[in-house]
Amino acid sequence: MIISLLWLLQDILTVLFGGVMQIPELFLLGIVYRLLKDEDEERVWAIWSAFLGGLLWDLRWVGIPGFFTFGYVAVVLLVLWLWSSLPLQGRTGLVAFLLLESSQLIPPLLPVLILGGNTGGSFFLMEQIYALPALLFCLWLYGRHTREAGGTFSLSSK
Amino acid sequence: MFDHHPSRGIQRHRELVHGLLALILGLFLLGGGANLGISKSVVDLWGGMLSIPEYPAALLRSLFLEWQARSQDRLVLEDELVRLREENAKLRLLEANLANEKILSELVTGMREARVMLRAPMSWWNEVRIDVGKLENVKEGMPVFHHGYLAGRISSVSRLSSWAEILTSPSLLIPVVVQETRELGVVMGNGEGGVLLKYIPAGRGERTGMRLATALIGEQIPPGLPIGKIAEELEKTPDGYVTYRVEPGADFSRFYSISLEAMP
Repeated sequence: MIISLLWLLQDILTVLFGGVMQIPELFLLGIVYRLLKDEDEERVWAIWSAFLGGLLWDLRWVGIPGFFTFGYVAVVLLVLWLWSSLPLQGRTGLVAFLLLESSQLIPPLLPVLILGGNTGGSFFLMEQIYALPALLFCLWLYGRHTREAGGTFSLSSK
Repeated sequence: MFDHHPSRGIQRHRELVHGLLALILGLFLLGGGANLGISKSVVDLWGGMLSIPEYPAALLRSLFLEWQARSQDRLVLEDELVRLREENAKLRLLEANLANEKILSELVTGMREARVMLRAPMSWWNEVRIDVGKLENVKEGMPVFHHGYLAGRISSVSRLSSWAEILTSPSLLIPVVVQETRELGVVMGNGEGGVLLKYIPAGRGERTGMRLATALIGEQIPPGLPIGKIAEELEKTPDGYVTYRVEPGADFSRFYSISLEAMP
């Protein structure tokens, strides 16, 4: 439910501020955050949510299905694989931050890589800057959750 | 996905299968989505459905854009207004100059010469007597000229001669306009050969070199008659006005004859 609301929020923010500022990938950030937080759950939902969310985003904003569909699923699989591969000691705040950041970096990069265009410059930088508050908020929530669950949370190593 | 715990292993395996399936589907859409032929109608349908929750945001955006456009329009209009005002001031100046030239040319064509018969040492800078009077239709208040510039006005008239009070006289006050700025002031003599411009507001920039002409309607002196130009600033009054020294067009040191309007 919250993930759907995040998709809608991202869409509404894009309607409101599109062309003025880059809107963060709130929907995917929400999915990645939940993947990091609820590791023991069945996570197939995340794959299909990312697929559906990406497809709907493509239909709403790109016009051609596939770009964000593929990008969102790729990010979810990357996060699933990396997070599961890491031992508990390796799941630091920095790694969590990088995985959360991948949700902001990869999806907008894919259409450019596939179709061509300017991959550098201010576009990606601005998107990362706008996404930073949301990203840090998720990191803070994740740290709080880890500490409440009896674990420790630090940026470098556990 | 890569855990060796049995139940978790199955879970990770399921995730891997689902993930790969979603990736393949995504790739399939990416490769053939544009050619499926349904995307346009689906895009329209989905866009239509989303337009309901998006409506407030779209409305807010359009209101903002409208406000921004209005602000820009207003700025453009304000710029245009300033430009038009400047243009209008220039046109007014041009119109005044043209009117002055017209007046001057009319005066020059309708002028007659009169000789200075007497310039008493006691009132050297105040008045002169000329050799035309009532018989030539000279009237009190008429302007007199020297080298095409206002030199004074007729102060008294007798049958065959007249007295003309000249610009250097402290009792002759003539309202004038600074042609470049359209500021009004008063020209008067100091009784010692100098001509002063008074009552010009201070602090509005350098005025040296600007031309002076008669302003308003003052008895028989029409507006627009050239007087001379501003030479230098002399003093500022505590009330915020400046007194300038005027360089008159008339040469009061070589004052042998004057011109005045020919009367029928």
